[in-house]
Amino acid sequence: MGALNAILGLAGPAMSGATGVGGANGTNALAKAGQTPAAGGDGNSFASALDGLQASQGNADDLAVKAATGDLNDVHNYTIAATEASLATEFTVAFRNRAVETFNDIMRMQI
Amino acid sequence: MSLFPVFATTGSGLRANRIWMDAVADNIANMNTAKPFDQPAFQARYVRVAERRGDGSNPIGVGGGVDVLGADFGDATGDLRYEPNNPLANEDGLVRYPDIDLADQMTQLIQAQRSYQLNLTVIDRAKESYQQAIQISGR
Repeated sequence: MGALNAILGLAGPAMSGATGVGGANGTNALAKAGQTPAAGGDGNSFASALDGLQASQGNADDLAVKAATGDLNDVHNYTIAATEASLATEFTVAFRNRAVETFNDIMRMQI
Repeated sequence: MSLFPVFATTGSGLRANRIWMDAVADNIANMNTAKPFDQPAFQARYVRVAERRGDGSNPIGVGGGVDVLGADFGDATGDLRYEPNNPLANEDGLVRYPDIDLADQMTQLIQAQRSYQLNLTVIDRAKESYQQAIQISGR
């Protein structure tokens, strides 16, 4: 994740100095392509998505303990929370895979 | 919970049906609860529910499920039976039994069970739909 952030940080100043897409400016193309994977070129959105994922996983774990000790009136709350947590995890993993794959595609481009 | 609103909505439906089954169980368990003549009979429990308005996250105004408001209690008069040997009987030998129709309670139980299963089906289908959406984007 640090490498991706470093590349996107490098692309930022190059983007601000760009005048047009038509020019064969390799740094400009890298900046525009680098904007795509991480929702606007900001690594912080991915971190906040991970925080939300952490919260839903923690909620599912709390409900699991309550269901095991018999404190839970509605057992379906636990299974719904577990489903939501697993779905959010799958989404985050797919998002990360897409970002890394796009990054690799860019790095492989011959300049 | 805001990531998938369908789960919160269906969860409220599951809770309402679970409470309905609890009420029916309470009625059936107390079918033979006798009371003296001067007290009200065991009253049948009914669950009062209302629709839940959405929290504003849905722009077209689709609601947020069902809310359980509370319990309503049925007729307190009950069924007067003549049992002179019952220690609860008054001087006329009358004892108050609850006026609960078993056929009605079993019908309600079947309805509650089927509604619960339908809500679970909604959750299953929604989960499969979202998982298929993941397959579009990634490996």
